Amino acid sequence: MNQTLSYMAVVLSLVINATGLYAQPIAKMDDILASISTDIQHYTEVATVTKQNEAYQPYIISVFQGQELEKLGVANLKEALLLVPGVDMATDNVNTKTPIFRGSNSLAFGQSKLFIDGTLVNNVFFDAYSEYLGLPIEMIKRVEVVRGPGSKTDGVNAYAGSIHVITYAEDFDGFESSDKLVFKYGSYDYKMGGFVKTYKADDLKVFIDFYYQEDNKKLPAGPDGYSQGSMSAFGFDNTNLSRNGDAPVWLQDYSLGLNLNYKDFSVKARILEHTQGNAYGINLALPENGGRVKLPSYYLELGYNKEINNYTVDIKAGVKYDTFDSKDKLGPDGVNFIDMVQFDTDYTENNVTFTDGIYGEHLAQQRTLYQSSYLKYKGFNKHIITTGYRYVKEETVDMVSKLSNWATGDAALVDYTDIYPFFDKNAKRDTLIFSLQDEYQLNDSLGFIYGFNYEQTSDKDAGFEPRVSMVYQLDTNNIFKAIYSRSHRNPSWQEMYTMNNHSRVGNTTLEPEKVDAFELAYVKKYSSDTYLQTNLFYLLNKNQIHHSATDPQYKNILDTDLYGLEFEYKGHISDEDQFYLNYSYVGGRSQIQDAAVSEPLSNVSHHLAKGYYIYRINDSFSLSALAKYVSSKERASGDTRNTVEAYSTLDSALSYMNKRYDFTVMLSLKNIFDAKVTYPSPPKTYSQDYEQERRNFLIALKKEF
Amino acid sequence: MKKIIFLILTLANLLYAHNYNEVLLKAQASIFPKIVLLDKKLSNKLIDGKIVYTIVYDKNDYQTALDIRKFIDESYDGHFDEYEYKISLVEFSDLSNETQASAIYVLNTSMNMQKVAKIVKEKGVVAFSYDLENLKQGLLFSLLLEKSTVLYLNKENLDTQKVDFLDSLLQIVKFIDNDNG
Repeated sequence: MNQTLSYMAVVLSLVINATGLYAQPIAKMDDILASISTDIQHYTEVATVTKQNEAYQPYIISVFQGQELEKLGVANLKEALLLVPGVDMATDNVNTKTPIFRGSNSLAFGQSKLFIDGTLVNNVFFDAYSEYLGLPIEMIKRVEVVRGPGSKTDGVNAYAGSIHVITYAEDFDGFESSDKLVFKYGSYDYKMGGFVKTYKADDLKVFIDFYYQEDNKKLPAGPDGYSQGSMSAFGFDNTNLSRNGDAPVWLQDYSLGLNLNYKDFSVKARILEHTQGNAYGINLALPENGGRVKLPSYYLELGYNKEINNYTVDIKAGVKYDTFDSKDKLGPDGVNFIDMVQFDTDYTENNVTFTDGIYGEHLAQQRTLYQSSYLKYKGFNKHIITTGYRYVKEETVDMVSKLSNWATGDAALVDYTDIYPFFDKNAKRDTLIFSLQDEYQLNDSLGFIYGFNYEQTSDKDAGFEPRVSMVYQLDTNNIFKAIYSRSHRNPSWQEMYTMNNHSRVGNTTLEPEKVDAFELAYVKKYSSDTYLQTNLFYLLNKNQIHHSATDPQYKNILDTDLYGLEFEYKGHISDEDQFYLNYSYVGGRSQIQDAAVSEPLSNVSHHLAKGYYIYRINDSFSLSALAKYVSSKERASGDTRNTVEAYSTLDSALSYMNKRYDFTVMLSLKNIFDAKVTYPSPPKTYSQDYEQERRNFLIALKKEF
Repeated sequence: MKKIIFLILTLANLLYAHNYNEVLLKAQASIFPKIVLLDKKLSNKLIDGKIVYTIVYDKNDYQTALDIRKFIDESYDGHFDEYEYKISLVEFSDLSNETQASAIYVLNTSMNMQKVAKIVKEKGVVAFSYDLENLKQGLLFSLLLEKSTVLYLNKENLDTQKVDFLDSLLQIVKFIDNDNG
């Protein structure tokens, strides 16, 4: 593309000099044409970076603008992701929510990656990012979601999908964002306050975002896992201790983000303190008041980006800390069991009664150090070559494991960190990824990107992973894409290093999950802002990691073939509105390795449909409706419960914008018809699925400066 | 659900505004005035020695038109190159052969674009369109954000316009005609 622009500038210059007809001086015309050429380059860059020209990119991508989502009453990142074609949501007993892309391994985390302004923020413990799903939408300029393995050049394997959150730190000439102050109030006593602020002086630009939010949300739950046999073994029956009630799924967050740019240098940093209720209990007993899980996430990344002639250098180095920190009452008063420490030492079965219940503290803090260097070269005609590496060093730096006294049943905590830990405190992994890619633009209509990643780790290597993509622009309105890529997901540390837990057993010999993805897409553009995107996908997943109540050790036991289609339309019903609709279908089967048994997809909705309508009444008012349909989900084999029921929800929002004083008020009503929304609970956990929010409201006030 | 549909249908009778892509609006506001300067017959279109850049809009797009004028003023500071300019905002319903214009930039409308094209043709000025589709109705230039930023020109309208562009400009545009977008 840059070669094309340079060529255009040369042609312009030559033709101008050969033309003596124009009334004005040739030099002046030269300046005007050069200025047009510069504008074209600038707006091409803005359009590419901001995904305005997403239809021409070699990915299956959906982009949602933050301000548009605000008009819809979308509250946070999680709600935004629920709009994405092919994306459903799952949760677990500690309410670690994770988006499920195209039905891929619906009970595992790490299938997708989350980037905040280009920085990978998945935590190491779960390889999830639920602590970021509450990120208020007012802090988000844009959400870009790539379905499928996506880009290879950044050295991160996205596997089923990648989510790129762009904050208002993004800045282009002519597209500066305003400073703003936001307050929100909603159901469950939700309160939020935050601001974004930019400071500029010469070559220095500093951007800060901050927010605080809390609620006291509780959702109906139960009977809890005790009813299904949790803590009932060795002849002890604790099922009578099972409880129903309200699960504490409250949250309390504060986050401070910093983006600093000085000439070619950058600093990105964030402190996120996320605390939440213990939800459904880490031991599947419905928690009582007072417990909490903390999932703090801190990162600091230094960057250097420099363009010199045909070369662009991009160097980054960073450190990230993330922690799983749980403190709660884990079992009810009167639990009878055996001394597990003694039993796991010499198989002696000493009975113990926890008269005042079981209490626990579990902490595992991980540190990730990383450094990457990439070089882009544009000197070959029609080619852009990118190569480089990313080195990642992950390790557990702190671990605490305390529990009520196994020997006596006394509720007071005993430090089992060294003798009976819940996690391997020596967990560590080194990863080196080398990447090479060529972006080849054959002509104005046809372009290719091909390349590979090669990854070595201190555990099991993913090895060589190629990617080839083609974008063909038949004409202005018709674009075709074809993509093949191979990617993998390294096991999370929960899957590898969980210890002394009879419902989850880590396995350090796990292989990476692998996927070969085949995708075809067709984009029909009806106008500058109206398009239809359809795509087919076929995903061959190997070595998917799974554990179950009958075999609690994590193993590579599933090979799953997934196929489906996605359809996405954005445009207008009439000239005066915005209309968005998507539909996705996924089908497939899982083959259980070594058992020669195959089964249909479990815990996966085959049909998803989402859409919204925004009616811009005038320059001040807009009214919107947002609807979602999620089809039923089949249970896993052996799980005799009824299917997870389908549901539909409808939200509506009214937004008022006062241009004179630069403030906006938004009122939204969510789940208007009070639909019962549930996420599946795995077998032998809670007998009923995890119920989500019913009808609720949200009010937002935003003032821009 | 019925109530919501009823409410939406009721509101549909009120005034409305179109939706615009901010990046595209700004790209067009940056580039189109420069194209005006490449017209060899620009001197014939000056009004009181000034370029009058007329933005034609639907009533409820007035704020969008104001935003474009503000962006152009901030970018050009009163002069397109050596020419003073004036930005004139004109509602579609007020557009006529008497409307002063050296060049016309047309926002979206539900009105008949051929009426606009007829006026443009009779006035012999360059007409730019936010929406590419309007080129098929008789307007001359549009711009899209594709893999790169692309200028479009309807070659069937070019011969009929009283404008004469530098050849070099014609070498960087993509031509379309009324049948093939």
